[in-house]
Amino acid sequence: MSGPSRRSTMVLAGLAALACGEIAAPIRSDLYEWRLVTPSIPGPGVDTLSFHWDRGDLPVRIWVQDINDMPAHVQRAIQVWEAAFLYREFQATLVTDSTDADVIVLGGVSLAGLRSVRLPASAPECAGVTDLDIDVESSQLRLPIRVSVEPQAPPDDTGLETCLALTTIHEMGHAIGIFAHSPDPDDIMFTDPQVELPSTRDRQTAEAAYHTPPSLEVVRP
Amino acid sequence: MLTPVLLLAAGAGALHAQTDYYARVGAVGASTLVRDVLVTEILVRQSIAPMLAMGASLPLSPSSRVGLEATLASGGFDAEQEGSESDLGTLRTASLLLGLDGPIRGSLRWRLGLGGILYWPSEDAGIFLEGGPVRFLAGAGLDWRKPVMTSWDLMVSGRYDFHRFSTDELERRGFTQAQAVSRVSLSVGLARAIR
Repeated sequence: MSGPSRRSTMVLAGLAALACGEIAAPIRSDLYEWRLVTPSIPGPGVDTLSFHWDRGDLPVRIWVQDINDMPAHVQRAIQVWEAAFLYREFQATLVTDSTDADVIVLGGVSLAGLRSVRLPASAPECAGVTDLDIDVESSQLRLPIRVSVEPQAPPDDTGLETCLALTTIHEMGHAIGIFAHSPDPDDIMFTDPQVELPSTRDRQTAEAAYHTPPSLEVVRP
Repeated sequence: MLTPVLLLAAGAGALHAQTDYYARVGAVGASTLVRDVLVTEILVRQSIAPMLAMGASLPLSPSSRVGLEATLASGGFDAEQEGSESDLGTLRTASLLLGLDGPIRGSLRWRLGLGGILYWPSEDAGIFLEGGPVRFLAGAGLDWRKPVMTSWDLMVSGRYDFHRFSTDELERRGFTQAQAVSRVSLSVGLARAIR
């Protein structure tokens, strides 16, 4: 083999060697229970109910009451949860027609009278609740999901805006499919949320929820 | 005072006469960009994308030339999990290679190059949340030419290049190392004839 040919062969062999190798994905084992555990119907034991928005449902349509700067808080919460995913598993958009919404967000009105599972969150300055209309027997989630974020402090309270922002992100976490609370106060999905953004554990929990087959079937009105 | 100007002009004219330049269109395909595991395996892949290539070269020795080649490609990319594909948007790439080329036999020439590739997603989201990366690129290829007009040759080119892919967002999330990505392209175009 001539000199130039040998050099070319060595270069190509070097290139081929460099062309091998794969990215190493992290092990996402740090997560909490996101599913809703309810008494089994019928019979003893429990049912573990899980949900995530299907790709075909995206973007999720969200109607938000124009009060207490809630549209901005909800828009921010959408961005935060969209950014939690690597493969665009969740996307949402604000809509102007509440009758066409998958999620309805109210600011300041407590919901009552629904046959629902309530997932409350509270802080000194504000409180939030997500109502899920779930028929455990038929494993159906009836839309819309209803969210309320209510101020509990005067409008000039310095902590109110922060509280509304993080509580909205928390409640939207329920609306995307995290149907339980984290036991860790460092997570946005802690019962009494204190941090302003989802933690790595929140993100990994959301990812797990979206890559596990849901047990709840969505029913639209 | 006029002499340097005349010499420069003469040099520039000679340089222009020896400059080879070309443009081609074609298609490029790439191997898997990301391999992840979320309960089951997820593969992020680019679609076969239309490509535009442009380049120019100058003689380095009687048989070899040195040149720059730039390519632009734009196509879709998606995530596949358990046979189900999810559209992730549009992904453009731009590459620039500084290379050498020389004759093999007849109208066939080899080419080797080093340079970079820029990923330019339509949206800063998902794996590109922190933007598209620039990665080191190495490539090789073959060119075949056939005179078709007085001043122009038909040029058919095949290219192979590779780089190691990752993004700031993947690294932020704990992905380590990088994915070896191979690209293969086939293109056809016109090159200025140097006879």
